[in-house]
Amino acid sequence: MAGAERKPSSLHVLRAITARELRLAWRRRLLKLLFLASVLPPVIFITVILVRLFVERSFGADLDWDPMLRFLQFQAGPVTLLALGIGTPCVARDRAEDVLFLYATRPVVPWHYALGKLAAVALPAAALMLLPGLLIAVLRLTVTQDLGAAGAGLLLLKMILVSLVMGWAYAGLTVGASSGVKRARWAMLLAIAFLVFPDMVAQLVTFGRAWPMGPGSAVNRLMESLFDLGLDGQGLWCLALLMLYGAGGAWVSVQRAQREMIP
Amino acid sequence: MLSAPAAAAPWIEIENLHLDRGGRPVLVDLSARLAGRAVGLVGANGAGKSTLIGALLGVLRARSGRASVLGLPLPAAAREVRARAGVMAEQAGIFPGGSGVDAVAFAGMMSGLARREALRRAHRALDALEVGEERYRPAKGYSTGMRQRCKLAMSLVHDPELLILDEPTVGLDPPGRAQLLDLIRQLRDEGRHVLLSTHVLRDAEGLCDELLLLDAGTVSYAGPVAALTQPSAGRLVACGDGLDEGFAGALAAAGVAVISRDEEHLVFSSRGDADLTAFWRVAAERGAAVRRLGAELTTLEDAVVDLMEAGHGRR
Repeated sequence: MAGAERKPSSLHVLRAITARELRLAWRRRLLKLLFLASVLPPVIFITVILVRLFVERSFGADLDWDPMLRFLQFQAGPVTLLALGIGTPCVARDRAEDVLFLYATRPVVPWHYALGKLAAVALPAAALMLLPGLLIAVLRLTVTQDLGAAGAGLLLLKMILVSLVMGWAYAGLTVGASSGVKRARWAMLLAIAFLVFPDMVAQLVTFGRAWPMGPGSAVNRLMESLFDLGLDGQGLWCLALLMLYGAGGAWVSVQRAQREMIP
Repeated sequence: MLSAPAAAAPWIEIENLHLDRGGRPVLVDLSARLAGRAVGLVGANGAGKSTLIGALLGVLRARSGRASVLGLPLPAAAREVRARAGVMAEQAGIFPGGSGVDAVAFAGMMSGLARREALRRAHRALDALEVGEERYRPAKGYSTGMRQRCKLAMSLVHDPELLILDEPTVGLDPPGRAQLLDLIRQLRDEGRHVLLSTHVLRDAEGLCDELLLLDAGTVSYAGPVAALTQPSAGRLVACGDGLDEGFAGALAAAGVAVISRDEEHLVFSSRGDADLTAFWRVAAERGAAVRRLGAELTTLEDAVVDLMEAGHGRR
């Protein structure tokens, strides 16, 4: 008998859980399509930027239009669907198959489990927001040259903030919903309800004057704050709300894991 | 509690363990030191077997008392224990969403193996369990036998020192059961410690050298299996025709203590040649046809049932 392994690092365990979730997601045709769909907005916007450059240089027209906000708002669509597709089955499936205790028989603790699942949603969501955005920023810095180094740095910081906050919030929303039920389709409905109803209820109650309450509208308003209106009170509220959605989902997932990772 | 000494160093040590679940005491003042290569964990439903497994993995926290596994204190070294243990849990399934080999490899990764190494060892474990091309099929469609093999492969993939098997043969047909038991015996003989939780006492008798019998959260017996199944000293069992009530009465009149009797068997106490001579004399006088006479052998099942009944009697 060969010697048993030493206990693995927390990072190793987290990476293994996240990588498995992503591998399982990649096997699903719909998610592959959504992933490809999330590559379309950057292609479209790069084309738009190049056309704008051509028009400005050829006709001397000044098209005063910042494509970054529009790009991020478009990109948020497929990324939201992708997050729903990856996140909603991940805990519900384990619960339906009664395998949470199996994790506990390994050197895995509840927060490894929850964080591994959250990262499987947050990392691709953030990457799909950030990487094409980076590409556009580099294009503007080098080809269209309508952005200086300081401007590019600031843009980069804003994009990192939006990407990470959106990834965290959507991970909390979808994995949290998945932790509440035993069927992926119910988790999907629950997550969609959280995307739709908080805003709907708030708007009804305040006759359309409410600040964003749902994660979708909060992401949208945060983008507007950062890239157009300036970081105002509503922008800060959206930032806090999105962090809260992520933390809430993480808390629900850890609680679920603690309760069910026992014999 | 009955107890018998064991020769090797104990690898499970439990001292005055109290563990509550849902506000109800499940393990009560549990103490045991087990050193056998394979230890059987038996007891009625609700006796606390699964809870004890949870405590030995450091998943369930005790209210008081101490426990250690492989010399590692719990719950402080819980992750270390779990890294060195392979667990086949009755109630848990297979990691869902992929093929059998995927699930086994993932189990290896959870225990610290790199992906490529985990995949290599997953194939090796499945080869050893004679799982062929089915390993590439989605695990969701597996038969019970295939699921059990896959679960065993998940517990073996990281080459653990300790195997904790919770009802491994449940749902298997007789050939599948025999095959799985042979494999577990082989794993034990390779030098692994085995903790076998089972209701099938024949399995425990065939595999284990020590037994931990739980009864309502307390230890009813902890010690060698042989001490429970060895021939009863001075007790003989006769088998044949004519061993009726009259025979028993005549034997008792001759000064031999009759312990029990049914249609074909009679158990009596033999203190020496005088009792044996008296037995044969009564048999000859009454024309009884004795086909077999020998020491009374106790099966583990009989011994455990006796212990459990004695426990119920004390309560």
